[in-house]
Amino acid sequence: MQSINPTPAVSIAVPPDIHQSIGMLTRQLHDSLNGLGLTDKVKGWAGELPDAKSRLSYIARLTGEAAEKVLNRVDQAKAQHDHIAAETRRIGVLIVKDPVAAVAKGHVMNFLTDVEQSTKQIDQHLTEIMMAQDFHDLTGQVIAKVVNLAANIEEQLLQLLIQTAPADAVVKASAPTAEYQPALAGPVVTPAGNPDVVTGQSEVDDLLASLGF
Amino acid sequence: MANELRFLVVDDFSTMRRIVRNLLKESGYTEADEAEDGVAALQKLRNSNFDFVVSDINMPNMNGFQLLMEIKKDEKLKHIPVLMVTAEARKEDIVLAAQQGAAGYIVKPFTKATLEDKVSLILTKMGLK
Repeated sequence: MQSINPTPAVSIAVPPDIHQSIGMLTRQLHDSLNGLGLTDKVKGWAGELPDAKSRLSYIARLTGEAAEKVLNRVDQAKAQHDHIAAETRRIGVLIVKDPVAAVAKGHVMNFLTDVEQSTKQIDQHLTEIMMAQDFHDLTGQVIAKVVNLAANIEEQLLQLLIQTAPADAVVKASAPTAEYQPALAGPVVTPAGNPDVVTGQSEVDDLLASLGF
Repeated sequence: MANELRFLVVDDFSTMRRIVRNLLKESGYTEADEAEDGVAALQKLRNSNFDFVVSDINMPNMNGFQLLMEIKKDEKLKHIPVLMVTAEARKEDIVLAAQQGAAGYIVKPFTKATLEDKVSLILTKMGLK
């Protein structure tokens, strides 16, 4: 097997003109960004990237919580289901053995009550499992925003590439995409300390009540 | 009476439409249809009879605010209560929805009890329950 040579140390002598070339390229990039009026946009991206990071963390948290909730509810529903199955077998044996006694001693009635309570609880678990799927909507909105940001950056970089390419280079540009319009904020990924947003339904109700609605 | 009411659930996410419809069904409101955005909702509202609209806000083509405005300026539709169910948690959005005539506002994620309570409250206010 061929061994891989280690990366050359930085201390290896670099021709001085390389530093000069990098300096020139940096200056060119700076001038190009300025010329294209992109400096503000680049600053904007820099501001939006940490936001994208917190949005992705929000997605990870929400999907994790949903999975946890579903698994917990499934465990509880399965336990109740097992209980009903065991009780059904037990009452079956009692009825076969002495049907009159099974009714007279209240075994059948107790069983029916037990089944009714358990099915009610299982239904609640199923409703909670269904509600846990709301993460799809919330994370979907957040994912769309991050994708929009990435598409926006890509489009601007492509524009920069086209405008700064040497005259003889052929650069095929993709069709321009629709302009990103962040009209609505979507889910609030970091509500803590933000006085402009509500953190729960009770705050919505209080706000509306304070306005007389 | 409640069972006969017809609901229109508007949301661009099919998962959420299904959740809201199932919750309404569990609360006894079995008559419900759905639309994926404001445009589709408006078309259904104009072509059929509905008693209640449950709508998201952030949707493509026509968002929930635009749908609400269209409903409230339409003589034939403006009596229909619109309950906003949305992830938009900015106070200015909540105030705007109320000013535009929304009958209620629920922020996602929400519980079954919240939806049940709001629908019931609105129906009582409207004299539909």
